[in-house]
Amino acid sequence: MRVALIRVALVAVLLGIWELIGRTANPLLYVPPSAAVPALGRLLRLESYPDLGEHLLLTVREIVVAYAMAIAAGLGCGFALGLNRLVGRAYGPILAALYAVPAVVWYPSLMLFFGLDAASKIAFGFLLGFFPITLAVLAGIRQVNTQLVTVARAFGASGLTVFRKVMLPSMLFTLVGGLRTGLALTVIGVIVGEVLGSKAGMGSLINHAYGLFRTADYVALVLVTLVLIVGSDAIATLVEHRAQRWTE
Amino acid sequence: MSELIVVDAVDKRYVTSSGPVDALRGVSLAVGAGEFCTLIGPSGCGKSTLLGMLGGLVHPDGGRVLVDGRPVDAPDPRRVATVFQDAGLFPWRTTLENVEFGLELQGVPRDRRRATAVELLGPLGLRDFAGKYPRELSGGMRQRVAIGRALAIDTPIVLMDEPFGALDEQTRLLMGEWLLDIWRRTRKTVVFVTHSLHEALALSTRVIVMTARPGRIKSVIDLPMPYPRAMESSDLVALRAKLWSEIREESLRAMGEA
Repeated sequence: MRVALIRVALVAVLLGIWELIGRTANPLLYVPPSAAVPALGRLLRLESYPDLGEHLLLTVREIVVAYAMAIAAGLGCGFALGLNRLVGRAYGPILAALYAVPAVVWYPSLMLFFGLDAASKIAFGFLLGFFPITLAVLAGIRQVNTQLVTVARAFGASGLTVFRKVMLPSMLFTLVGGLRTGLALTVIGVIVGEVLGSKAGMGSLINHAYGLFRTADYVALVLVTLVLIVGSDAIATLVEHRAQRWTE
Repeated sequence: MSELIVVDAVDKRYVTSSGPVDALRGVSLAVGAGEFCTLIGPSGCGKSTLLGMLGGLVHPDGGRVLVDGRPVDAPDPRRVATVFQDAGLFPWRTTLENVEFGLELQGVPRDRRRATAVELLGPLGLRDFAGKYPRELSGGMRQRVAIGRALAIDTPIVLMDEPFGALDEQTRLLMGEWLLDIWRRTRKTVVFVTHSLHEALALSTRVIVMTARPGRIKSVIDLPMPYPRAMESSDLVALRAKLWSEIREESLRAMGEA
């Protein structure tokens, strides 16, 4: 209750400051909440951007495809590198080196390669989501207590049983954490990709409004995108709780 | 007394970064059904390696290991159960679920394995801790869960690798008494690794003293005295002195090499 109160107070103060600055500054650059709320209303009534639904759906679809690919490749790569010492030692350093490169430098080449449509956004979202998932698998495998593997083997566990009954539960927290980070970064990748250059999607609308100095609409679009991001994180949290229940 | 476990001229060499190390050389022994056989010796003498071989987790480089007349090449949870050093419990499983682990792997139906585990909790002194996780238990309790997990699969042979090594002395003495009681009731064959002279003399029907690396069998001491043993009786005091002089010699050698 007190936490909620403090949180509401902070939001109220921030909104107040925003309102104050917005009223005193150039209205082209700063939009106070009192102007953003009507703009959000117009956006949701499909007055400012009648095709909002299609753009939103496209962005969600890009995120879903990119995330599914990041999970598949991240888990595959992580387990291949983590379970096989030779492969891990051969490719691990390459992975680490690639991860150290700021991902955004890849984006221009992704656009050249995949074009301005959804494919380049999916590729960028995938790229951002792939690394934390792979690294979480690797970290998770390192966390597995080898004594517990020995115990399971002594009780007759096969390789697959060791994987299911010892490795997966040992790594679950790390793994789910990595999947969650991967989702957040995939969402960021897709939206950043759209903002940097696209013909459709939430990012392209944001770019459009911003470019035309429709600042109130721009803020409203950002708020809708924010809901998308918070929503995806809420789903991830739900999955995390499920996973916790499953291990118990 | 039929020989349930036979170890015949077994060698084991480990390759380490500083060259090969002879862990065991030419070790032979036989353990009869119902025995409580203790392996004792200086650190690094290959006791745990030998135990690992009996459990099918370590393969000998030479010689052979037979359990019930059959060569051991992999863990066989129908004949051998192992209690590990530091318990080795699964932290995401409750006491009951840890005890059930072996039965679960053997495909015993849920109701039946639960019933077996619940029944064991009484003698384990863990009845009130069935739903607790390992981190909520004391060291002695954790070790009893590990013993329960081994007893649950009801094998004729139980291997114990310093099960009480990490416990304080009082708990250790009590756990020894408790184990003796369990062993006398179940009449299982136990092979027990320890560093404790007291444990060896209080529990065993036979003590096998191993040499410093490379591990060989230095001597075998039979202990036919009835249980519970009066540790201050003259014959046990004499045996203790004998045992200590042998282990002391080997430990000094092990220390000198290290």
